[in-house]
Amino acid sequence: MTDNPLLHAAGLSKAFAGVQALDGASFELRSGEVHALVGENGAGKSTLIRIITGAIEADEGSILLDGETLSHLTPQEARRRGIAAIYQQPQIFPELSAAENIALGCERGGLWRLIDRSARRRRAGQLLERIGARFSPDAIASDLTMPEQQLLEIARAIGADARLLIMDEPTASLTEADVENLFRVIGELRDGGAGVIYISHRLEELPVIADRVTVLRDGRTIATRAMPEIDRRELIRLMVGRELSAVFPKREIEPGVTALELRGAGCTTSGVSDVTLELRAGEILGLAGLVGAGRTELARMIFGLTPADEGEIRVHGEGVRIESPADAIRLGIAYVPEDRRRHGVIAELPVRANTTLAALDEFSRYGFLDLGRERDTAAEYVARLGIKTASVDAEAATLSGGNQQKVALGRWLATKPAVLILDEPTQGIDIGAKAEIHRLMGDLAAEGMAILMISSEMPEILGMSDRIAVMRGGRIVGLFDRAEATPERVLELALKE
Amino acid sequence: MHNSPRAETDTPKKSPREIFNAWFPNNEWALLAVIAVEVFVFGISGENFLTAANGFEIGRLGVELGLLALALTPIIISGGIDLSAGSMMGLSAVVFGALWRDAQLPIPAAIVLTLAAGLAGGALNAVMIARFQLPPLIVTLGSFSLFRGLAEALTRGIENYSGFPPSFLFFGQGYLGGVLPPQLLLLGAAIIGYALLLHRTSIGRAIYAIGFSPEGARFAGIPVARRLALIYMLSGAAASAAAIVYVAHLGQAKADAGTGFELMAITAVVLGGTSIFGGRGTIPGSVLGLIAIVVLQNGLRLSGQPAELAGILTGALLVATILIDRATRRARIRTAAAAGIANGIAGDAEEAEEAGVKNSQVAVLSAVILAAALIVAGSNWLLVRSLRESAAPQGGKRGESSVEKSRPVIAMMPKAKGDPYFISCRQGAEEAARELGVDLLWDGPTDLDPAKQNEVVEAWITRGVDAIAVSVENQAGISTVLRKARERGIGVLTWDADSERDARDFFINQATPQGIGYTLMDEAARILDRRGEFAIITASLSAANQNEWIRHIRARLAAEYPEIKLVAVQPSDGDRDRAFAETQTVLKVHPGVRLVMAIAAPAVPGAAEAVKQSGRSEVKVTGLSLPNMCKPYVHSGVIESFVLWNTVDLGYLTVYAARALVAKELKPGARRLGAGRLGEIAVEGDEVRLGAPFIFNKSNIDRFDF
Amino acid sequence: MNRYRREIAAAAALAALLATVALIAPSFFSPANARDLALNNAPALIVATGMTFVILTGQIDISVGSQFAVASITAGVLAKAGLPMPAVAAAVVICGCAMGAVNGVLVARWRIPSIVATLAMMVVLRDALRWATEGAWVQNLPRNFQWFGLGQTAGGFIIVLAALLIFAASIFLLGRVAAGRAVYAVGASSEAARLAGIDPRRVTFGVFVWMGALTALAAFVNAARFAEVPGNAGVGLELKAIAAVVVGGTAITGGRGTLAGTLAGAALLAVIGPALAFLGVNPYWEKALQGAIILAALLSEIALGRMQRHAQFASR
Repeated sequence: MTDNPLLHAAGLSKAFAGVQALDGASFELRSGEVHALVGENGAGKSTLIRIITGAIEADEGSILLDGETLSHLTPQEARRRGIAAIYQQPQIFPELSAAENIALGCERGGLWRLIDRSARRRRAGQLLERIGARFSPDAIASDLTMPEQQLLEIARAIGADARLLIMDEPTASLTEADVENLFRVIGELRDGGAGVIYISHRLEELPVIADRVTVLRDGRTIATRAMPEIDRRELIRLMVGRELSAVFPKREIEPGVTALELRGAGCTTSGVSDVTLELRAGEILGLAGLVGAGRTELARMIFGLTPADEGEIRVHGEGVRIESPADAIRLGIAYVPEDRRRHGVIAELPVRANTTLAALDEFSRYGFLDLGRERDTAAEYVARLGIKTASVDAEAATLSGGNQQKVALGRWLATKPAVLILDEPTQGIDIGAKAEIHRLMGDLAAEGMAILMISSEMPEILGMSDRIAVMRGGRIVGLFDRAEATPERVLELALKE
Repeated sequence: MHNSPRAETDTPKKSPREIFNAWFPNNEWALLAVIAVEVFVFGISGENFLTAANGFEIGRLGVELGLLALALTPIIISGGIDLSAGSMMGLSAVVFGALWRDAQLPIPAAIVLTLAAGLAGGALNAVMIARFQLPPLIVTLGSFSLFRGLAEALTRGIENYSGFPPSFLFFGQGYLGGVLPPQLLLLGAAIIGYALLLHRTSIGRAIYAIGFSPEGARFAGIPVARRLALIYMLSGAAASAAAIVYVAHLGQAKADAGTGFELMAITAVVLGGTSIFGGRGTIPGSVLGLIAIVVLQNGLRLSGQPAELAGILTGALLVATILIDRATRRARIRTAAAAGIANGIAGDAEEAEEAGVKNSQVAVLSAVILAAALIVAGSNWLLVRSLRESAAPQGGKRGESSVEKSRPVIAMMPKAKGDPYFISCRQGAEEAARELGVDLLWDGPTDLDPAKQNEVVEAWITRGVDAIAVSVENQAGISTVLRKARERGIGVLTWDADSERDARDFFINQATPQGIGYTLMDEAARILDRRGEFAIITASLSAANQNEWIRHIRARLAAEYPEIKLVAVQPSDGDRDRAFAETQTVLKVHPGVRLVMAIAAPAVPGAAEAVKQSGRSEVKVTGLSLPNMCKPYVHSGVIESFVLWNTVDLGYLTVYAARALVAKELKPGARRLGAGRLGEIAVEGDEVRLGAPFIFNKSNIDRFDF
Repeated sequence: MNRYRREIAAAAALAALLATVALIAPSFFSPANARDLALNNAPALIVATGMTFVILTGQIDISVGSQFAVASITAGVLAKAGLPMPAVAAAVVICGCAMGAVNGVLVARWRIPSIVATLAMMVVLRDALRWATEGAWVQNLPRNFQWFGLGQTAGGFIIVLAALLIFAASIFLLGRVAAGRAVYAVGASSEAARLAGIDPRRVTFGVFVWMGALTALAAFVNAARFAEVPGNAGVGLELKAIAAVVVGGTAITGGRGTLAGTLAGAALLAVIGPALAFLGVNPYWEKALQGAIILAALLSEIALGRMQRHAQFASR
């Protein structure tokens, strides 16, 4: 590890149409170090790395690379100088092959240069092998699974032979084995003298991989520490600026009648099979498993997005067929999906329209909308869920991630469901909003709602659930009561080959 | 849906800016401003533009287009498109005509069944788009051809249905209470219906959700396929309704009804602020867009400006409104952000910033548009001179806003302004206008379009010209409005092609269809030496004149020439290149053909070129065309001869007759008409005869230059 | 199979049509007919080639018909003014580039949806041309205009050769040159392309200029087949080109498609009309059949997809 900084950013400010995203932040990266960057959502992490990659330009401040000031940086220029990035949302080209995707990320040169296809393939094969990906360079990106796409993105960034590599939540959808592989490769890059900026919400990863950590809050740099000198508690305190005693409120409720029952249910197209499950009123059932274990597919099956074609589904004891979301809604089943921006809310619709969208029939008479009642109901949920919005007429896009998630939740509460399925309800939202959503889940269960919660966060699963079901390969492979569940037992079951 | 003017009780009082945005969510104010400017400019420059009667007339003209635009609005909001609406109009018109005349159904039953046919056509689109999830653009591109093709096939192009009962025609041509065109009520009802559907019902809400995010809508339990299917089916029905209005308006049902309407409707909707990407848009916006277009066309006409300006201005408007929308949306996001709302917006704001349009750029754009207009105007002057060579000067007087009352205004309309045939007529008309010292208004559809003809005549009536002379595309369609002109004391002539007899004072007859048909057939027989095969290349399959001629050709053929065989009739759509390709095919499919008869002016050189390139010197070309177009081929012997009258003289004579009509020198019972360099022309009854068709050949063609 | 489903559907439709013709009217396959078909459709193929680039980028250009007309008249006027043919060709292509550049600025720089921007261009150009020429033809062209003064055989050969060369060059450009891959990248995901160091605006702009240049070139070689230039050329050309491209399997949303598919689509649409004439089908049915074949190609793609899914299950 050398001491002369590879990158030195000082006094960076950036405002988006009046919102101060960065406010004089500074950051330093040495060659041969992995430097973690943490902070709540909206703290300015993404803005900072987008400035460094040239995707956007700072209003104020300076960036020095190897002591040389970079001004008017463009993505092309950044790439030329050896800066590569993995963004939170995989920025891949769905219709192109893996080899092409990698080449587009790392080849340099003008638009009129010729292309050597076999060299591209060879190089892509090597890179994919290095990070332990098990798909062919000829695979079309859109045919890959989400984790595979993430690996593709990683291979591409590594292939750029960057001196400065930025990784924004690279592990969000990776399995444990892939994460291990990734950390090994990051270690190799570090030893080779590259500087790595590593962003993650999974604080438990940081001691494993990072050398130093910088905390951002409200667009300012709060602290930079050596990783061994700081513990998780302290890190959280720095991030939120306050102590959080209990992130996961405990509650004890006597479960009521069985609200939803699956008997050997499955769906061939999405690979869910032979699921037997019982969900009772007032209960939170946690659904654990690795990404790709079939949890989201199970939720979509119950919600009628990919209708079940085997087994039996019973709602309140009656056998039902759920062929479409409309059927599910009629039966009192609600589903808050994982991908908030694409599925959870419709960003361009105002908050009130988002709130009533799943229950339009409720809010209309002879097909005509009762706009007054819609407004009242929306205002009610804004108040009840503590949604921070200028008015119910504001477009959902103007809300922060956590508030959008609350709007999505409000939409489904407006359907007055008996069964609520939450898919990664707190993924990618800040700690404050997370706590509020957890409190709300507790309240809803207390009111007698049956909740099925999918989560990849072990503490959330263990803290919130009455019972925990573990999925692997599209099947339920284990069921624990809260008392008998430990992180080790759950993980072992989820991982077993 | 964004514009709910409902009073707020629980939220703080809105700022004026918010109220403004609530009323005009997609910058409809810009369109209102455009309409205001149009009204102001045309109020000054147009004759009788600012009258209630003209207002209703504008309304009448907008009904068919309006119905399509209304139906298209939810489709575009849903992120789709329907290119087949105009073709559906053609198919529906034909179906309606067939049901009424051939199936002998009463009008109401025919209407119901036609609407059902529209629904069925829409359902075809709906199944492919909603059920099979195929891209709307491609699906409707396919049905665009399919529907129009079915219409042509059903009628064999020739059939056109007319003679509808007056009670039905009243719906399209009459006036309720003396002022209100009845079809306006239908448009009004459709506007209200669609506005309610889109802005006040759960279905409308669902369509917006689908437009913004089809996936998101599905996750919210919205039956996406059913909702999409509904709007495409409604679009089919709306096209049928528009077709029925169109038939009532023109008194005739033909396969070419509604050609090009789909693009006009899309223009109106997009002009009205609907985003082509889906999600944003309103019915009031579309209505404003429609008004802006229709007023522009009407106003230009009443101001005596060339109709081409309408297209140019519409294009510029389209670009300008979108840029304004862009600029203000950015400002709005900025205000929203300043109101202290968090960071989800950052992406949007950034996007807006990047796509942002600076004022300086808008200024540059305006300058470019202005410069382009000047260049076009300049090249108009230059090109026309250099191309025509005959140095026929421009009308000159067209642009003047105040017409001296002492100079009579004669308005003359061709079937299509771009057709070389009519361009040569115009030469003669302008020559006569100069000699007589009258103002000549020369205007008409750019392509064959009967509805446009009615529109132009309406505008002339409103403007108050002294005489109108029309080359009629559609007898039944135009006669009502010509009668109206006569009632207002305007002298009415028809030339080239006649209307119903009582709708005009005189017909300037160059040749009867029978005369043309017989002459063509006789000439063909002479070239073929009374035996052998020949083929006809016609204009479009639904061209009325050509179909009439073909009828007479067949009659003459059957009666006189038993050893001659007509083996094929192929369409050219009035396009030289298409005529060329069709001729090539005919020559190969029917190797025995010795003569190609092309009966549309641009088709003759096309056919001649094909014959020339085939190297088959034994095949000859004849037909009906203009001397200048055919000269090289006549000289090289490919074209043996062709038939026409002197079109320059036809235009010349028409203006002389119109002047005489205005001066009351030409009145019923007149026997002769003095026509300048043509001398005395005979008048027979209510027809002025130019003379018999003329046969052009190698020996005489160099005497003509038109 | 999976990825080229739509190309295969178009090729299959073409093969079915040709097989029918071969059975009923074998005279269709005469050298003379092949030559005429190739000549008549070479300009449309050039335009469809350019349109493939535009659609691959995720855009559309419905102003090509109007551009074609403007370029045709320009070619005629310049040739008549006495310019030598190579100079005319160069000037016409520059004129096409200029028209394409206007589209490019509207779409790439000002982010106006391409269907709207080119709709505006379509009416503006067409009406401006009408206004300028009032429908007049360019006549009395110099002798060296038709067939470039080389005679029918040589001239025709050059035209077909030019179309094939442009087509081959385009295949090379799309597949083997970085700029061509950038077209796919921008069409697949404009933002990802930007982050990968490609400037989507430059690519989009370039594609519209390329479209304009090819349209102009098509207009030029088309004009050279005749001795005079009509004022209303290219009406409906945009729909023909778009139909050829999408029937050939290029995704209207961009990022997916091949020029081979475009060739199949263009060939299918080019053959339908003459084939029907050879089969003795009444011309009144031609347009309806054309629409039906487009829809059938779309549906057959779905059917192929179904078959394939069944095959997958069976092999499990």
